Amino acid sequence: MAMGKISPWVSQAKEIPVEMSSRIRLARNVRELPFPHLVEDDEMSGVIETLNDTLDDFNRIDLEELKFEDKALLVEKHLISPLFTKRGRLSYINGDESVSIMVNEEDHIRIQAMGAELSLDELYENASSLDDRLESRLDYAFDDKYGFLTACPTNIGTGLRASVMLHLPALSLGNRIQRVSNNLNRFGFTLRGIYGEGSVPLGHIYQLSNQLTLGQSEEDIIKSLNELKARIIEEEIEMRSIMHNEHLIKAKDSIFRSYGILKHAYTISLKEAANHLSNIKLGVDLGFLPENTIRFQELVQLIQPAFIKMRLNSLDKEYVSLERAVAEERATLLREHIGGTI
Amino acid sequence: MICESCQENEATVHITTGSGLNKTERYLCEVCANKSFSGQFSSFQDDSFNIHQLLQSLSAQQPFTSHKQQKKHCENCGSTVESILKNGKFGCAECYETFSEKSNEIITKVQLFQTEHNGKIPQKSSAYIKVKKEIEQLRAELSGLVEEQAFEEAAVVRDQIKSLEAGDGNGKD
Repeated sequence: MAMGKISPWVSQAKEIPVEMSSRIRLARNVRELPFPHLVEDDEMSGVIETLNDTLDDFNRIDLEELKFEDKALLVEKHLISPLFTKRGRLSYINGDESVSIMVNEEDHIRIQAMGAELSLDELYENASSLDDRLESRLDYAFDDKYGFLTACPTNIGTGLRASVMLHLPALSLGNRIQRVSNNLNRFGFTLRGIYGEGSVPLGHIYQLSNQLTLGQSEEDIIKSLNELKARIIEEEIEMRSIMHNEHLIKAKDSIFRSYGILKHAYTISLKEAANHLSNIKLGVDLGFLPENTIRFQELVQLIQPAFIKMRLNSLDKEYVSLERAVAEERATLLREHIGGTI
Repeated sequence: MICESCQENEATVHITTGSGLNKTERYLCEVCANKSFSGQFSSFQDDSFNIHQLLQSLSAQQPFTSHKQQKKHCENCGSTVESILKNGKFGCAECYETFSEKSNEIITKVQLFQTEHNGKIPQKSSAYIKVKKEIEQLRAELSGLVEEQAFEEAAVVRDQIKSLEAGDGNGKD
């Protein structure tokens, strides 16, 4: 796999308004073994042997052989979790980087399937068939009352976390996110930043996901999530038309300011860059800017620190302060993509 | 990647403290890294904070838990109710059964009063669960028959249960 490159499934994705990508995660454990926070390395060796055998069509990534930047890159590509960079040992990733398996994250096995043009149902089918493949070789911890048993009781039952990445600039700028989020919590769903638990929203991108994993079937969880997603998208579009109809000059002003800044800035922070990209994408969606102005999903990843650092390394640039060099290189990258001063 | 401490700036510093099992790693921005060196680790946010807090409050709600119950260990992994509450995690799959009362209480709270799995059943377990459900049904039938003193029929049902139990080769009772 090409480390410093955007995942093929992201670079091939078609850009549409609001909806960015979807993800399915399944948590599974092996019967009798202590959960990852208590298990000894040698106790896992049998499981790992079986996984090596079963997943021979996947790239096997030994986390211990990776540098910090490489691990951070995998986080920025959403292939592993931030937690996994600390104590993760082993991960399996498929060719187009849309399916990954983490061994010994919070649970023994975490299967993840991502996609931009596939529905959650299709992604679940993919993850579930991989799950069947593993289950035929491993003895899963399963209880007929509680379902799949997990280290944390918040994942018990289906072990399913379904999520959709949504770009919600109008709702954010209109201060509606909190209200939407409170309503979602009542239904057992949540809105959070793009790198999951505890992460802050960046570029007005939010992750809608289920909080409850027990009691409902996988199909019903996905169905509810799809319904809520449609409601949120509707609200976002409504806010956008209010923006367009009632605050046209203000909207255009902030969109084109952002466009100007990214075209001409020589140093820029992640947060600022993400906000301007978000404004530009909104401008594209509202028809103020041509469709090929930016590839939003791709750029939001490319401006992340590990991606920029990888770029710095490949250019063999010398620098005194890494932080400053990253901010400068990020501005250069954005100018290149948007066609500004070079 | 974003700084784990302030969740705002980019993480540019990788800090490793301790060694072996006590090794901890953090990815921080320069500002927070400097702060952490001044001993201000308390601002560090942990992902498990919410669940941890919830479980702590659960244990606080149970002041009358008997001493004997407190000492109970999971035979498979050695976890106790205390260690589960402290980690915010169960030690192994068997903990759920070992501490069945507590796990039921925790699951009910965390999963908003949902207590029964309604989703996917692993292929291996599906046969075993079918047999288990059948045995449960036959047991109910058996006690009804015993009550009615229909002993001959009860004997037939008892034999059915026995053969089902003997044929259940899944390694779990």
